[in-house]
Amino acid sequence: MDFSALNDALASKSYDQIADICDTLMLQVSSQGVIFQDEWPYAIHLLGHIYINDINSARFLWKRIPLAVKESQPEVVAAWKIGQKLWARDYAGVYEAIREFNWSPEAQGIVASFSEFYTKKMFELLVSAYSTISTQDTALFLGLNADDAANYALQRGWTLDLSSQMLTVKKQVVATEQKLDSSKLQRLTEYVFNLEH
Amino acid sequence: MNSVETLVAQIQGLSGSISDVNQLHSLLKQSEDFFQSESTRLASLLTELDPSIHSLGYLYILEACTSAPISKEQASELVLSVARFINLCAAEQIRLAPDKFTSVCKRFKDQVMLLEDPMRGVAPMLTAIRKLQLSTEHLTTLHQDFLLLCLLAKCYKTGLSILEDDIFEIDQPRDFFLYCYYGGMICIGHKKFSKALELLHNVVTAPMSILNAIAVEAYKKYILVSLIHLGQFSISFPKYTSSVAQRNLKNFSQPYLELVNSYGTGKISELETSVQANNEKFEFDQNLGLVKQVVSSMYKRNIQRLTQTYLTLSLQDIANTVQLNSAKEAEMHVLQMIQDGEIYATINQKDGMVRFLEDPEQYKTCEMIERIDSSIQRIMMLSRKLTHMDEQLSCDPLYLAKAGKERQRFDFDDFDTVPSSKFTI
Repeated sequence: MDFSALNDALASKSYDQIADICDTLMLQVSSQGVIFQDEWPYAIHLLGHIYINDINSARFLWKRIPLAVKESQPEVVAAWKIGQKLWARDYAGVYEAIREFNWSPEAQGIVASFSEFYTKKMFELLVSAYSTISTQDTALFLGLNADDAANYALQRGWTLDLSSQMLTVKKQVVATEQKLDSSKLQRLTEYVFNLEH
Repeated sequence: MNSVETLVAQIQGLSGSISDVNQLHSLLKQSEDFFQSESTRLASLLTELDPSIHSLGYLYILEACTSAPISKEQASELVLSVARFINLCAAEQIRLAPDKFTSVCKRFKDQVMLLEDPMRGVAPMLTAIRKLQLSTEHLTTLHQDFLLLCLLAKCYKTGLSILEDDIFEIDQPRDFFLYCYYGGMICIGHKKFSKALELLHNVVTAPMSILNAIAVEAYKKYILVSLIHLGQFSISFPKYTSSVAQRNLKNFSQPYLELVNSYGTGKISELETSVQANNEKFEFDQNLGLVKQVVSSMYKRNIQRLTQTYLTLSLQDIANTVQLNSAKEAEMHVLQMIQDGEIYATINQKDGMVRFLEDPEQYKTCEMIERIDSSIQRIMMLSRKLTHMDEQLSCDPLYLAKAGKERQRFDFDDFDTVPSSKFTI
């Protein structure tokens, strides 16, 4: 089996490509009749799906993994645990699943990168969904302790009411590209013109 | 032509130019009987041919070799050689004999399933489809086999890749039924419910003269996906549904229609009772997973309904109205729905309130214009295709003869005097 593409992607931290590379390679070796199951990097493959938030694919991959592998490779089970927590939307559980396992050197990079990315995404979710939220819940969502979470939020313009330990969310003004290309408008005008005549 | 040696010589000699290959094709067609009688001796010839150069000859021999029943050990060998052939063969050569190619691929699928290793067939089958089809609008008879292998091998994502193609040409109606049914299941697996709904809708409303099991199973899934995705199900069929389907499908789907009724009440407890009552049937149909998703979708639906009535509501009130256990649970539901873009709202934890907002989309961004434009383009393309088909049909002698005959059965006034003018607007 030629894992060079996978190793390159891991080395260059192109984690978003891992799932595709693994999927393609697995189908390829499988069509050549190779028994790949014993040496397949299932944990990395699972993490690859999780990294691009494709929990469905992670779930189907988990179902394909032979029982013997699940029993002998705790890292595979640990990787799927992250997937399970995401699947169940156990927001805080995701961080626990990341922290409670001692990841191998190969997996460390992608797990760390995912964790950082996930914190960012959770923060965006909080911004869009809450007007006020307790520091305690913020900490759970961001995977930090209460003080760090409050600091993280304060740095981004939120305000803290000390007596109630409530954070007030600062909404971000989303600047979307509003400028219209005149050719686009021209085209739409032509459609309407066509319809009316 | 009669010996094995001349055959090999001919294949080797006539695999160059297009005219050579055509000549080879007619020679091969004439030797069909020879292939059948010699099928056991042919396998050794394959080593003398190069599948990428002598594709057509290779295909004929491979087809003959695979026609005999084989043992499980041989099956593994065969699967390897067919997979290799599919990867290497020249598309323009195998397209001369699509039936042979299809038959080899179908046997390949059967063997892979016999070996209980469906994943071995997934990649070669996709390559086979791409080589066989003239354009991505063409539904080959291999599509459904490919999707079935994807389902069995749990490679759903790979299956999604061909479902994105818009299909306009179909060889066999059965292919279309199975393609849409399996495709629907793959989309369900990836929670792409709107695409699943479209595919299952195609099965239910496709023309059929007698009822088939595929349509019955598709109808059941169609009901469930419709509840999950749209929160409702209309029991009346679109007009273009075949009368067979309209008359019979409901009789086979009673438990599902009961579910639709109890879903309509908006009460979780009633829905759960209805699920309990028919639990075994749902399990037997292997739809229990979907049924569970129907139940959980009801919470969402009820919360969505609240957004139409209220501007602000306390979390506790939401929990009470939609029958959730606590305000915290309601908060999590609302949060999930915001995350998925199903509602627009902000949660105020301090006061325990939720404020429902309007959809912030103002339809004036560049991105939205792009989307509108591409939708219009798609519809224009579809409309052109439809006009073209209409024109072809109205020139078709078979159709005109039939339309002419039918006409006499009705009053003269029911129809235009010139049938073509009615259909070529």
